[in-house]
Order: sequence, then C-alpha cells, then structure tokens
Amino acid sequence: MNLKGNYQFDASSKAIWDCLMNPEVLTRITPGISRLEQIEEDQFKAIADVKIGPVKGSFEGNLKVAEKKEPERFVLKITQKSKIGNVSADVAIALNKKEDGQTEMEFDGKAKLSGLLARTGQRVLSGVANTLTKQFFKALEKELA
Amino acid sequence: MTFIGKSVKRVEDQRFLTGKGRYTDDIVLPGMTYAYILRSPYAHAKILSINTSKAEAMDGVVKIFTGKDIAAAGINGVPCGWQVNFKNGDTMKEPPHPLLVADKARYAGDGVAMIIAESKEAARDAADMVDVEYEELDAVTNAADAVADGKPLVHDDAPNNMCFDWELGNPIDEVNAAMSAADHITSLEFTNQRVIPNAMEPRAAIGQYEDHSGKYTLHTTSQNPHLTRLLMCAFVLGVPEHKVRVVAPDVGGGFGSKIFHYAEEALVIWASKQLNRPVKWTSDRSEAFLTDAHGRDHISKAEMGFDKDGNILALRVKTHANLGAYLSTFAPCVPTWLHGTLLQGLYTTPKINVDVTGVFTHTTPVDAYRGAGRPEATYLLERLLDKAALEMKRDPAELRLQNFIPAFDGVKEEGYMTQVALQYDSGNYHGVLERALEMVGYEDFRKEQAAARDEGRLLGIGFSTYIEACGIAPSAVVGALGARAGLYESAQVRVQPTGKVSVYSGSHSHGQGHETTFAQVVADKLGIPLEDVEIVHGDSEAVAFGMGTYGSRSLAVGGSAIVRSIEKVLEKGAQIAAHKLEANPEDLEYAGGKWTVKGTDKSVAFGDVALTAYVPHDYPQGLEPGMDFSSFYDPANFTYPFGAHIAIVEVDKDTGKVSLKRFIAVDDVGNVINPMIVDGQIHGGLAQGIGQALFEGAIYDEYGQLTNGSYMDYTMPRADDLPSFEVDRQVTPCPHNPLGVKGAGEAGCIGSTPAVVNAVMDALAPFGIKDLEMPMTPERVWRTMNS
Repeated sequence: MNLKGNYQFDASSKAIWDCLMNPEVLTRITPGISRLEQIEEDQFKAIADVKIGPVKGSFEGNLKVAEKKEPERFVLKITQKSKIGNVSADVAIALNKKEDGQTEMEFDGKAKLSGLLARTGQRVLSGVANTLTKQFFKALEKELA
Repeated sequence: MTFIGKSVKRVEDQRFLTGKGRYTDDIVLPGMTYAYILRSPYAHAKILSINTSKAEAMDGVVKIFTGKDIAAAGINGVPCGWQVNFKNGDTMKEPPHPLLVADKARYAGDGVAMIIAESKEAARDAADMVDVEYEELDAVTNAADAVADGKPLVHDDAPNNMCFDWELGNPIDEVNAAMSAADHITSLEFTNQRVIPNAMEPRAAIGQYEDHSGKYTLHTTSQNPHLTRLLMCAFVLGVPEHKVRVVAPDVGGGFGSKIFHYAEEALVIWASKQLNRPVKWTSDRSEAFLTDAHGRDHISKAEMGFDKDGNILALRVKTHANLGAYLSTFAPCVPTWLHGTLLQGLYTTPKINVDVTGVFTHTTPVDAYRGAGRPEATYLLERLLDKAALEMKRDPAELRLQNFIPAFDGVKEEGYMTQVALQYDSGNYHGVLERALEMVGYEDFRKEQAAARDEGRLLGIGFSTYIEACGIAPSAVVGALGARAGLYESAQVRVQPTGKVSVYSGSHSHGQGHETTFAQVVADKLGIPLEDVEIVHGDSEAVAFGMGTYGSRSLAVGGSAIVRSIEKVLEKGAQIAAHKLEANPEDLEYAGGKWTVKGTDKSVAFGDVALTAYVPHDYPQGLEPGMDFSSFYDPANFTYPFGAHIAIVEVDKDTGKVSLKRFIAVDDVGNVINPMIVDGQIHGGLAQGIGQALFEGAIYDEYGQLTNGSYMDYTMPRADDLPSFEVDRQVTPCPHNPLGVKGAGEAGCIGSTPAVVNAVMDALAPFGIKDLEMPMTPERVWRTMNS
C-alpha cells in the first residue's frame, strides 16, 4: 500500500521537527497510539490500537528514525506486529520551507501488510490511512499553534 | 412405474431445508478437543524459532504440535495423485508438502503449528500467544514471471520454479507450417484468473482414535472419502487402511475443493492417537479463502490460423499454469490432460499444439475447480472464435457452424478422433447452436442492437460452445496419462428380505442429489416405489470402495455401477422366480415389479422373490441364498457433454457496469434422469461461470498476500446479478454406458464464462476494444472505455 501526501503548516520546520522528535507529543497527537517509549537514541517502542473496518487490532512494535537531516527530512521505519497481521513501512518525511514562514510536510512511503490485515479490508485501508494522517496533521497543527 | 426422466423432488432437501442436515462440524464426540492451525502470515519466510511455552501454559490448552514434532514423528507430507513428466521424460518436480512446515513457509496460510485445546476459543486464544520468529523472504506469485532466471525459488530443487513442461497434439513444426499458410491469424494473450471455490460449508475434520480396537475414524468434508483414506493411510501416516474408517457425512458443496486430501485430515487423525481423545478442526471462512485449493490461474498465449474462407487451419497454445506452493492431489492433471485435450473443442481444427508449463509460486495451491481445465480450454477457444469473427468481419455464430465437426452418434458412425488424444463419443454440435440461435431470436437481436447503438446504448451478444470430457474416467487410459489411481466406481445393491433396497454407492453426494437420482434409477429398473430405495454413500465402512464425486462422473460411472448390480439382482431374481413359477428363467419377463411367465397371468412379485432369497426353504438347487450384489464399473471412454450458450449484456456507458440481460443455455448431457436436478446443476454452474466473467478473482500483492480474502473484498455473484436463465436441452445419448448419460455438473460453469465475456466485447466493439481481462468489473470496463 502506498502512503503519500502533504500538509501545509503555519510553523517553521524547526518547530515541526521538535514536535516530531518528542515522544510525549507524538503519543498525544498520533491516533491510536497508547504508549510510546524511547528505547534508545532514535528508536521507540510503540503500542497502538487501530480499527480498520471490521478488523481491530492491538499493535506492538518499533519506530525508528533514520537518515536524519535536521530540520529537513528523515525516514520513519515502522515495524508493528499484531494478532491480525503485521505492518512494516518505510516512510520518507520531508519538511520543505515555504514562503511566509510556512512549512510543507511531505510524506512518501510504502506499507507492507500481512495476515488478516492484508486479506480483509486492504481495499479500504488507504482510506483509513488517509483519515488517520489527516487526524494526525490536525493534532500537530494544534500543538504548533 | 417409471421414474427415469421425471422431475422427482429431491428427497434430501427435506433435511437440508429444515436444518436437519448432519455436517461434520455438527458432530460432537465425548471428550472431544479442538484444534486451531496457526498459519504463516508471510508468503515466503524462514522459520527461525517457535516458542510455545506461553501458549502451553494457558487455561484449556491440551497440546501444541509444531512442524518439528510432525517431522520427528516421521510423518510424510501430503502426496500428489497425478504425475506429469517434463518433455524430456524427466519426472515432474514433486517437492514434499508437509502437514506443518518446520523451517520454511511457502505461502501465506502454510500451517506452522497445531494448537489443541478444550474449546475452539481456547485454542484460538492460545495460538495468539505462540511466538514465531520469521525471516521474511521475497515471493513470486505470477506463473509467467516465476519461471524467469533469478526469481525467488519456492522449492530449492525446482529450478526456475518449474514443476513440469508438457506438450500435446501435432508436432510443433507441423502446426507452425499450417500457421504460416494461414490467410488470417487471430491471437490472444490473456489470464484466466484465479478463483476461490467458496463452498457454502467450510472444511472440517474430526479425528477419533479408539484404543480398545486400535481403530481410527475420520469425519471429513470430503467429495472423496475413500481416496482420502487411501492417500492418508498409505502415503502420509502409514496406518493400515483396514484400521481406518472415513466418513463424509452431509457435505455442503465442494466444487472440486473437497476432492483433495488435505493436511488437516491427517493431522487430526494423528493427534487423536497422541492424545487418545477426539480432535476436531473447523475452518473459518477467512481460512477457507486462504487454504482451500484455488482454481484456474492460467496465463496463455493462443493463436488460431484460418484460410481465406474462414476454415480453421491450426491452433497454437502456450500456457503457464500456476500450481501454487505445493502440488495438491490432482493439480498437475488440470492444466494438462483436462485442458490440452479439450482444445479441439467442437471444431475440425486439423493441427493443434499445446504447450503447458506448470509453475510453483508462493500462493495457495491450485487444483480442480468446477470444470477443471475444461473451462480454461473453452474460454481460450471461444474468445479466439469471437475475436476472429470480429477481425475477419464474419458472423460469430456462422463462423462456428462452418467449423463444427459433423454430427455422429457413436454407434452407426464412429466416435470422432481429435488431434489431442481423445475420441468423442457422440455429438450433434450444429443442433445445440441452432437451437440457441432460435431461442435468442438472433436476427431480431442484431436489429435491436443496431437501434440501441443509434441511441448510444451498448448492447452486446456473446457466443460460447463447449465440449467437456466427463464421466471420469477409463482407468487404463488415465493410468497411461499419469493418474496414480483408477477411476472406476463401485455400487452394491442389497435387497433386504422385505424387498426394500439399500444401495451403497462409492459416489459421494455433496449437493448433487444422488439420494434422489440414484433412487430413481433403482426404483425404475426394479419397478418398486421410490421410498423403498435408500442410497448410502460417504462411509468407507459401509461402501466397498469409491473414487469420489467430481468430473461430472457420478451418474455416468457411479450410476452405471448401480445398473450393473441391478442386472445381477434381476438375473438371480429370475432364477428364484422361475423356481416359484415352475417355469424356465428364459420364459419370464420382468416388468412392473414382478416376473411374469410370458403370455400368461402367472407372476411373482419382487418382494416375494426377495423374501424367498433370505428364507430359502423352497429354493432352486445349488443357488446361494441372499440377494446382495456388488459391481465395479470402469467406463469404456470419457463422456462428452456439449452445448451452446448465448449471453446478452448491456454495458452502462457512464459507469462501466455490465448488466446481464439474457442467458440462453442449450446443453446436451445425454439422457436425463431428473430434469429438475439437471436444470439446477446448469443454473448453479452458469452462476459460477458468470461469477468468473464479471465479479470474482483472487488478487495477490507483490508480497504474496491475498488481498481479497473475505466477502467484503471478494465478489460472489448474487441473485440480482443474474437474469432468469433460459435453458433447453438436446439429447444425444452416450453410446457406451448403460444409462446413456454424459454428466451435467460442470457444463454450466464451462460454457458460460466466455459467452458473457464475448457479449461484453461485442457491446464494446464501437470503442475498438478487442481484449479485456476478467473479471469485467465496472472499474475495468469504464477505464477501458475512457482510455
């Protein structure tokens, strides 16, 4: 499944960067995440509950921040396991400076699904992913305000 | 009393429709445990470790077995029942198909561990706590891609993922020569997509071991209980066959997917002895999508050469057949001997060459699905014919009629020898198409279509004619073609002392209505009431032997075996009757349930003769008491049902949605015992074939994940997708079996798919569209119209 999109923020790339690198903020703003624990530099343990159509699952796994170039871009490496299947994704995130102090956040990646998650509702999953990212961006916007 | 040819209501429907059917999952045995199979979520992965300790400690968990336990117990994998060789004579690649895998998973759904608990729920919960560490590997899912160099291998000892390559027909040089002499060549590259069987009842199995007798009982959702017993005992578990009883009770549909011997059957039998408790496994729907053998999945290139008058000169076919990750029981035979041999179709094509490569991929195993190979052959031919007609500006019906094999009855005129190893038994191919054209009102339709086009409406008509090799099959012939089993059928007719009749048939019924049709044959031949006949099937302890139900074989082979036993009953009965009537057996005739001395009113009834056979006080000297006969019938040839189907569709220009307006099916299945049941079989088959054309298709992603493994994602045809079918019959009896029947189970599914696709192509002709893949979903049609 492809993950691609962008969002315009009325904030500097540095401010966004700081939010994104702060586990406390991320726990607050990421839909479904119930716990985010730093286990080492740039590496987090994440626990999330997600409902996709008829499929509901508790996910547990790692988030890893790689290829960091502050405050412009990084790659988020996600591996999450659940009883309903596993997800792994590499998402490149870019923070592009725009006029008037605005910043465009752009993401581009691919998620790989397995198990029940892959065969039930994959069709509706990109819609769900869109909704979740929209929620995430809105929440981030509030944090930045 | 005549029953043959009457639409007798199905006797089994009373229990099915009132919830009294007894299916495998309905059976609860004392002390029963429940198994859940933990399956690989990955299509291709190394199993690095399995930790069951947390799960084993959970409440209600009885035992967990992993692939390592199965390997340590010395249990073999599931065997394949058909061998196809490479062109160079090498044996096909036949990698082991373990009951549970120990070190590597080869498709998403491969069994990794069996969790046995006191309840289904406890087993499932415990499965969640089994830790399996996988190393994910790259997967291949497409048969044509998988043979390229450097692709991930499903099995290390099958280079290029090839199981076999196979060829049939005329030498390729001759076909190439005929092709180069052609004035017109029509070619087609297409996928006959993978479909998922979706029987109403998911698979289930109960293993039961009794330590007092050392005997096992397997209850299973099988189309084929005796063969399951043979394969499981002799090849998998090494358990003596006479110690194992296999029962297939009421079974809710199979469409082929329940022919095969599955790992779960052997697992529950083996585990029941380890635990000394019965073990039940029941698939859920999601598991059924993933683990029931799938159907079709061919990628083909086909070319047909014509002379300037439209006569077919040659056919050349190259197919990559996806076999999935392992060889299911009959997998190698489906794309070869059940596909290549049908490429003559109804046509006089003088030169045919077909080349098939069987390919392993990281997907669910593929095997026979209603029609099995024959729908793929029919689709290929019938798409070619319609496309050729369009290209050569010929009428598609007329082009077919011109190229049909002339009628022959198989008695006065000999059977037709094809270029692809078969001899058709009897046929009148012009008859079925001409009747279908008459029913559809062809000329009027073309006028209506032209008028509709003027209004901007897209109407289309599509043709399909088919022939199938059914009544499977003469044992010596299939043996020569690689079958590792005979394909005869057994029947025992036991006349009880009161004249009631029990018939033990090796042919299993899982929706076909054997309990009615077979009883009609028996009641008719014996002249007794229908309710005096009981058909017993599906129990290896009751029935001598059986080769199962598939390949439209039940009546042609199983029914013929019953007729043979009835002949023996009547022959013995005549001797007893002659004794009672003080006449010679030759002077008697049997009619209306009694033997009568010809030309007199002296007679004795069937029931009196039956009683005498069991109370032989006044009895012919030297004759054994009793009246119980068994027969094994091995057919002389396949049977060859055929037919012509016509579909009329309308395509919505704005949405791309295809509406099926009319469907005409004229089928010739030989003699008919119960017209209502035959109609029902045709209707069901049509729905399935139409499903493939318009709705169905398994979709794997690049990682080998089945992405539409649920009813939310996989579209089955619904009643409101289908018109009221217009069906008619022609009767050309089979010349080589005693009932003259050919088989009707698969016909609808074989003929309908290309008719619908051809109709859509005809509707889209104004757009210059010549090819479109199935399923013809609104999205696909719309995109094509708008590209």
